[in-house]
Amino acid sequence: MIEVRRVIGARVAGSRLETAFPKRSRPPVLGCATCGLVVNEGDPRQHNHGISLRCPRCGEVLDHEKPFSVQRTWAFTVAAAILYIPANILPVLSTTTAFRTTTHTLLGGIHELWIDGSWGLALIVFVASILVPVLKIGVLGLLSWTVRKAPHWRRLERARLYRLVDLVGHWSMLDVYVVVLLGACVRFGSFANAAPEPGILAFAAVVVLTLYAAHSFDPRLIWRDAVNDG
Amino acid sequence: MRSAEGSLAVCEGCDEVLRWTPLLPRETARCLRCGTVLGRGHRLDLAAVLALTLAALVVFLVAVFTDVIVVRLGGNAVATSVPGAVARAWYDGQHLVAVATAVTAIVAPALFILLRLYVLLPLAAGRLAPGFGACVRALHRVSRWNMVEVLTIGGLLSLVRLAALAQATPGPALFALGVLTLLFAAIETAGLRHLWRYVE
Repeated sequence: MIEVRRVIGARVAGSRLETAFPKRSRPPVLGCATCGLVVNEGDPRQHNHGISLRCPRCGEVLDHEKPFSVQRTWAFTVAAAILYIPANILPVLSTTTAFRTTTHTLLGGIHELWIDGSWGLALIVFVASILVPVLKIGVLGLLSWTVRKAPHWRRLERARLYRLVDLVGHWSMLDVYVVVLLGACVRFGSFANAAPEPGILAFAAVVVLTLYAAHSFDPRLIWRDAVNDG
Repeated sequence: MRSAEGSLAVCEGCDEVLRWTPLLPRETARCLRCGTVLGRGHRLDLAAVLALTLAALVVFLVAVFTDVIVVRLGGNAVATSVPGAVARAWYDGQHLVAVATAVTAIVAPALFILLRLYVLLPLAAGRLAPGFGACVRALHRVSRWNMVEVLTIGGLLSLVRLAALAQATPGPALFALGVLTLLFAAIETAGLRHLWRYVE
């Protein structure tokens, strides 16, 4: 049973929330990420499977921190950073016309769009294929590092960075879809042909790995005061 | 226990415990500490979400079973659908790329719609689907792998890049993907949290 002891702060205009408890007297409760139920941590009825607590309403695992969050984020981020090199060096697409075969890299494709005068599209592809992956790798590395080494540094900004990365992350799939569609559409035998090349494999792996990295990171760690295993 | 806890929320973004009052339509509740969105006032009721989901099912079938892009070059025409493009990538030896595309462009949107229908249809009839909790948990996981909006832009981008080479026209599936993007956005704003009110 939760006893609400003190409420600080009045209702903020435009927001219908208020901080329920003053600092350091946070009740022992867990929030369910799926159904939003607030569960009393001390209630032994919710204990099953030994140590893992499950939501009594929807069955979701309840915790204050995703398991091995920082380690997993590091692993996925480093793997993505390494694969980002072949993703940019190797060609992602090859086109064959009656005369010759040309290969295209990610940056080359953007360059071609730019030269063709579609600079708006070039910008979209640049953001999706270059900016978003680099931003994700950089930000997730920074977030994982600061959780341990600089826990108090610009917390609100770090929380916003995480939400930004989580929001834009899947847009890097754009070039993967374009290569898959072009490879399937341009099928005119020796006259004109397009096929995916190994670079797109590396790039797809970068996209999937950065998505896993973002899902592995737990934003609650940004706000954690006591770091026990620093 | 419920009455005391009903007004409390724990922020997903920072684990802060907050107290809240019911939201009006169009209102958004953000965590006071970290700014994470905790809830939105409902604009759509159960019937509206169900109607949108049924519409999404029809549009999704069009998006999957018709052609995305039709290319004409020297009297020949090549048309491709989304599953066709996935199969092509697989036969070209790009297995991981084919799987990633299939999961994010076909499987995840299909589950997004079908799991919702499985949960919502019995709920509209006043009953609870067997395995309700597991399905809603699965829906949460599936939503983040649904990338229909990116595929829509990818299809448009492919069209533009093809225009330099041959005569390329958009197929019905490309329009369907555009509509599906809007429908999914509308369904997502309704969220899943409010479903639990019907359970209790």
